[in-house]
Amino acid sequence: MPDRLTYEELAALMKSGAGLTVDASEMESSPGSAFEEYGLDSLGLLGIVAALENRYGRPLPADADRCKTPGEFLDLVNTTLTGV
Amino acid sequence: MTRRVAVTGVGVVAPGGIGAPAFWDMLANGRTATRGITLFDPAPFRSRIAAECDFDPVAHGLDDELIARSDRYIQFALVAAREALGDAGLDLEKEDPWRIGVSLGTAVGGTTRLEHDYVAVSGSGARWDVDHQPAGRHLERAFSPSTLASAVAEEVGAHGPVQTVSTGCTSGLDAIGYAFHSIEEGRVDVCVAGASDTPITPITVACFDAIKATSANNDDPEHASRPFDARRDGFVMGEGGAVLVLEELEHARARGATVLCEISGYATFGNAYHMTGLTSEGIEMAEAINTALAHSRIDPTGIDYVNAHGSGTKQNDRHETAAVKRALGTHAYKVPMSSIKSMVGHSLGAIGAIEIAACVLALKHQTVPPTANYETADPECDLDYVPRTARPLKLRSVLSVGSGFGGFQSAVALTRPGGRTP
Amino acid sequence: MSNPAHRRSVITGIGVVAPNGTGTGAFWKQTQEGVSVLDRVTREGCENLPLRVAGEVRDFDPVASVEERYLVQTDRFTHYAMAAADLALDDARLGRADYEDTPFKVGVVTAAGSGGGEFGQRELERLWGQGPRFVGPYQSIAWFYAASTGQISIRGGFKGPCAVVASDEAGGLDALMHAARSVRGGTDALVVGAAEAPLAPYSVVCQLGYEDLSACDEPTRAYRPFTADACGFVPAEGGAMLVVEEETAARGRGARVRAEIAGHCATFTGAGRWEQSRQGLARAVEGALREAGCAPEEIDVVFADALGVPAADRAEAGALADALGAHGRRVPVTAPKTGIGRAYCGAPVLDVSAAVLAMEHGLIPPTPNVFEVCHDLDLVTVRARPAQLRTALVLSRGLMGSNSALVLRRPTDTPD
Repeated sequence: MPDRLTYEELAALMKSGAGLTVDASEMESSPGSAFEEYGLDSLGLLGIVAALENRYGRPLPADADRCKTPGEFLDLVNTTLTGV
Repeated sequence: MTRRVAVTGVGVVAPGGIGAPAFWDMLANGRTATRGITLFDPAPFRSRIAAECDFDPVAHGLDDELIARSDRYIQFALVAAREALGDAGLDLEKEDPWRIGVSLGTAVGGTTRLEHDYVAVSGSGARWDVDHQPAGRHLERAFSPSTLASAVAEEVGAHGPVQTVSTGCTSGLDAIGYAFHSIEEGRVDVCVAGASDTPITPITVACFDAIKATSANNDDPEHASRPFDARRDGFVMGEGGAVLVLEELEHARARGATVLCEISGYATFGNAYHMTGLTSEGIEMAEAINTALAHSRIDPTGIDYVNAHGSGTKQNDRHETAAVKRALGTHAYKVPMSSIKSMVGHSLGAIGAIEIAACVLALKHQTVPPTANYETADPECDLDYVPRTARPLKLRSVLSVGSGFGGFQSAVALTRPGGRTP
Repeated sequence: MSNPAHRRSVITGIGVVAPNGTGTGAFWKQTQEGVSVLDRVTREGCENLPLRVAGEVRDFDPVASVEERYLVQTDRFTHYAMAAADLALDDARLGRADYEDTPFKVGVVTAAGSGGGEFGQRELERLWGQGPRFVGPYQSIAWFYAASTGQISIRGGFKGPCAVVASDEAGGLDALMHAARSVRGGTDALVVGAAEAPLAPYSVVCQLGYEDLSACDEPTRAYRPFTADACGFVPAEGGAMLVVEEETAARGRGARVRAEIAGHCATFTGAGRWEQSRQGLARAVEGALREAGCAPEEIDVVFADALGVPAADRAEAGALADALGAHGRRVPVTAPKTGIGRAYCGAPVLDVSAAVLAMEHGLIPPTPNVFEVCHDLDLVTVRARPAQLRTALVLSRGLMGSNSALVLRRPTDTPD
């Protein structure tokens, strides 16, 4: 099990969870672009958070579903996963 | 000549109070009916609290066959309809059944039985190709939401237009609104209108868990529904039903009925924004309020009380506060506005009808029900929310508003005789 | 606003997603040729259920018809409704530029008989198979009956009155009545109709409780209303969405007026009480004629409910005789739904679509699979019948007891 979430995996979750086709490398090159610009709404992000929590078997921080950008989200998730 | 619409009977099945008198007693005393879920084991869920009805269909006069045929939400509607018809003193023998309609709302309909039987036919979710053999009787009646209005129409003996309305959480307001239209337009003289929903089931609780719309204040359920309070953290699910008897005003007068009040205006619009999201401006709800008031011929300053949607989610209460300010202007700061969801929870499609029943009773008793649990002001919600204690007040015209998933924004105006702007 | 009585509702656009085709071109070609597309149920998981025959929507490419995100976030019934709404708006040439300054003047009405059953079954499977944390966020907006109205409103920017009739079959016509009432109340245009997707396995299990469901396993014999072989109805997917506009507004923007919604009436006579539906349906017809200011003899064609249950068929034939008098035995009657099945609330909206197309083409489509009629009706069978059609009557009854009738008229400026 990988202990870091990548842009590729995030893009895959956006596809399976919300039906959005997003270029992972584009997301990676502009991590500050809002999820909204990719068409991801608040429900979609909630679904991605739940999918990750189910995958890793542990909760993410309560504010994970309030992240506005992919960069912010990956930082938060990866800090949590690599934390103590 | 415009046909006016009178309310002549009320019936309620609500958490903490079955029957309109018990329901009003609860509201007038600011009691809350929210508690830990008992209808199923809520342990694996994020939100484990709800406002449940302690409902015994036998004690409320339903026979075995009717109980077997009717999902819980229909049982609620039947009991509420009987009470409303009795309250109205309507002698159905003397009425033309082709001039009686039924308009009832529900958001999730027969989910209770659908989920129960799903578990049986799928081996608890083990197979997609379900086996039909273990399915129970009357499952088709749970599948078809039109069963709601159909069952009540058979109870009443109505032969006029019969419809089930399902606009999410505004279903109750809209069902009464459509009934109002059908009387105003002359399609019927009497309409049995209201709503019922019993959404406290695992799938419905889980779907609101998934979007964190419900309160997770599981340790303090009695105080978990906190509309407009700064510490609110989501709505508390409820269940229930309410039914009104609506009549063309002259029809009611001709038979010497007591006119409790009139439904004087109704409007609904879509926000065309997001299935669950609400803007912070409240433009579309304000449009619904203003259109309903114009239809009623009531000035915004003529509104004496606003029964809020007040679900207790962060975004709803902010949205609604903005909408009421936009619609009523400076009068918004003078008019009391409360949410009975603080006491009876949010019963999705039913709550709009339960809230209209509360408005009818508020007009009758000249008392504004409170917002229970309201303690801490939120700078974004700065109106008079009638904290914790009911308030005696001269009420002529009141307003009930609602928002629903799908973007629905609805408003209903109710007026005492002589309450319209001259 | 003009006098409500003068605000007439007209149909300016039709969008069809039906078992016999997507779009009015394909739908009308198959319908007027009397092609039957009833077939074995092939949806995954339905193979071993005792419903053998249905009308499946097969000529529909969801990927080409709705944006990808809706395929994940909404149910099949909403895919159909959104695609049909797009087709109807295109047909009406009603675009954003027409209403972006007046969004509160355009509304949406749908009727729904069962909601998003396939989506709901998948989420129930996750809940009961894996646990509450596996239920996705879109269950809250995809399964419920209001999903299609909400999505169409949001996608199009329609802020006008938005309504949902969660009804039995007759609700499809009642939705049109709602639209006409909104027009009288000041709305300029509505996207209105119904589309259904009742062929998920658990949805089929639920329908097995309908005693009027056909258990016949031969596609050509399973749904034969008005015959001695009538053995119930065959369910179907799909439906239609229409654009309904206030006539003056429609003509003002140069829209093509296809038909006027001239009158409607609904009654109720109890679930499964088909004998009583005779009186209920007759009164609905009389009410619709009265509202339309239309004499019985002016009805040029009847699109029948045609349930395919002997008592119900007898009641319908009787209702036409009661409401239309001697004309009830002479007027051509048709039921093209015998070739595609009954798509619940979508069925009467498909009939309205077929009726408008029939009036435009001067051609009454036939009733597929039906040959020897055992009632006193002039049922159009085998092949389409040319006829000058100015006024059509569409009938619908629901399994929960509703009866509904709608009168459609060709616009007065169209030549015969």
